[in-house]
Amino acid sequence: MSELLEQFSAPPLIELESDLEALRKHAQKVLMQHGFPQRKTEAWKYTPIAALERRDWSSDGPDESAARTESIELPFDAHRIPVHNGQIDTSQLNEIDGLHIEPLRAEQIDTSAYVDHDPSDAFAWLNLARLEQGICIRVTHTLERPLALQFSSSDQFKQAAHPRIRIELAEGVEATLFEQHRLHGSGLINLVMDLQLAAGSSLQHLMQRQNDESALIARTEAQLEQAAHYQAYVLDLGGALTRQDLKVHLNESRARTRIHGVAALKDKQLVDYHTAIQHRVGPSHSEEDFRILADNHSMGVFNGRIHMLPGADDSHSDMNTANLLLSEHARINTKPELEIHAEEVTASHGATVGQLEEAARFYLRSRGLNDAEALALLKFGFAAAAFDALESEPLRQWFTDRLKQAL
Amino acid sequence: MLKINNLHVQVGDKDILKGLNLEVGPGEVHAIMGPNGSGKSTLGYSLAGRDGYEVTDGSVLFDGQNLLELEAEERAAAGLFLAFQYPVEIPGVNNAYFLRAALNAQRKARGEDEVDSIDFLRAVREQLKALQMDDSLLKRAVNEGFSGGEKKRNEMVQMAVLQPKLAILDETDSGLDIDALKLVAEGVNRLRNDERSFVVITHYQRLLEHLVPDQVHVLSNGRIVESGGRELAERLEQEGYGFLSPEEDAA
Repeated sequence: MSELLEQFSAPPLIELESDLEALRKHAQKVLMQHGFPQRKTEAWKYTPIAALERRDWSSDGPDESAARTESIELPFDAHRIPVHNGQIDTSQLNEIDGLHIEPLRAEQIDTSAYVDHDPSDAFAWLNLARLEQGICIRVTHTLERPLALQFSSSDQFKQAAHPRIRIELAEGVEATLFEQHRLHGSGLINLVMDLQLAAGSSLQHLMQRQNDESALIARTEAQLEQAAHYQAYVLDLGGALTRQDLKVHLNESRARTRIHGVAALKDKQLVDYHTAIQHRVGPSHSEEDFRILADNHSMGVFNGRIHMLPGADDSHSDMNTANLLLSEHARINTKPELEIHAEEVTASHGATVGQLEEAARFYLRSRGLNDAEALALLKFGFAAAAFDALESEPLRQWFTDRLKQAL
Repeated sequence: MLKINNLHVQVGDKDILKGLNLEVGPGEVHAIMGPNGSGKSTLGYSLAGRDGYEVTDGSVLFDGQNLLELEAEERAAAGLFLAFQYPVEIPGVNNAYFLRAALNAQRKARGEDEVDSIDFLRAVREQLKALQMDDSLLKRAVNEGFSGGEKKRNEMVQMAVLQPKLAILDETDSGLDIDALKLVAEGVNRLRNDERSFVVITHYQRLLEHLVPDQVHVLSNGRIVESGGRELAERLEQEGYGFLSPEEDAA
């Protein structure tokens, strides 16, 4: 795996101010020491990093003259932030009330949660070691429109890019963040996002992904202050290799989070979601529902960890993961993990892996739907429940329409 | 309407129907009674075209065409409806959406235009009202969290909306209280006309009091062993199936 590090070490980096340079050097050192996850690295055992090693990372930047400029569809007007081939473009965000864009400063990068004694967080360190463009978006007033981070890469994209984005919500601010990925080519987007939710603020984070050969490795970390609310909704239609770590820290009382997601996979797609919710103070509240539908030779992974630390008394957590195997060659690995060190908490978790029932298929066919229609309707019914809690009716409609088209 | 001749059906490696004959004319209501395990539900599933119910001999003509050649959905489009003994729950799919998709699929198969959504909702609401079911049912997932009686009444709503030529009711009366039973019977009676036929599979005579069948048949060990008028149902109610001749049972 040291090979991979060498491959990622080109081309040379642009120079940054000294504090950031120091961070990069430290990250590089951690990486040199522990390398990348191996098969035996528990948190990565289903994510075949080795596939990245076989790719050619040595090429120059993509020929942008032939690049497709894909416009990613959105259900509403938004403040768009295109991130093409890993390059963050904030040019469309000039002089918007309540929105401040700044280059990321060293003190805004918190590595205290990164594991530095084994390779579990290697890609977060790699992001830092190769950091060139980091931005901080501060939202100081509730915005009229959502923010839309639109990640795309061209067919010729073969590089590894390491965008880093920090979003801060000021006290009481409400915001919607659309995060969309349409990655083409055969590169890697190694993304780190830090979300800071001040007291009473609320972020609705909507993720919509549909990638092909380019890999996506994303780490999203949300820090919540008092009574802040973080909601994530995910619709992932797969990719050759997608890994998402989503970590939510409920740091103060009455902080709450909801994570609802669907991954609908086919062909040889591989999607791995690792979520971790830390209840640090009570009472705090979390709710999670993640559904995977795996067809053909695809593989879906969900690992949902709930950690109630001492002091998180009177907290509540519900987690459910429901999974549907649509082919005998598909695989799903799902694991809820519950660790409780607090008093008077209520927590529930459930995990199911099943197949579509013949009885249900026949029931629908006996009413006139053909087998393909029956199958699509059953899959849709299974998956769409993940978006039931979306408060906005147009958004729910938009998500379920996308889902319907995909199934 | 329906002509079943010498029907043999295997489930797994077990022979269930062993030479069943039955003829149902247009506008007729036939009741099929019989002890548990005699093959009543198998008859319903075989006619509706469920996988795993293998016809090894015999023929079934439905409205002049060979029913056994058709897929389950083609049978539905041709006008055959099975009210399930145990209606299946379809999580996440709401009733209105499901019913409209079913109706449109059938209409499309018959070369008809899609149903107008306003007309459709009006028709469904009428049926719901007639069966004393709440409008909120339309937005609920198909059969999910329904009581036993609600599931059975929901089958009747579907039947009324889909307007089949032949409806097979598989123990639709089981698990219903007297009031719900009356509603179901009224629902069937409203649909009766000179063209539409019914095969009513039941254990009890009480549904037949409201439904007045043209003929009653006794199914035993995979065959019709006795046919008669409604007085046969009354006799079965009083005497049970004990009168079935021993050689028929052994056959």
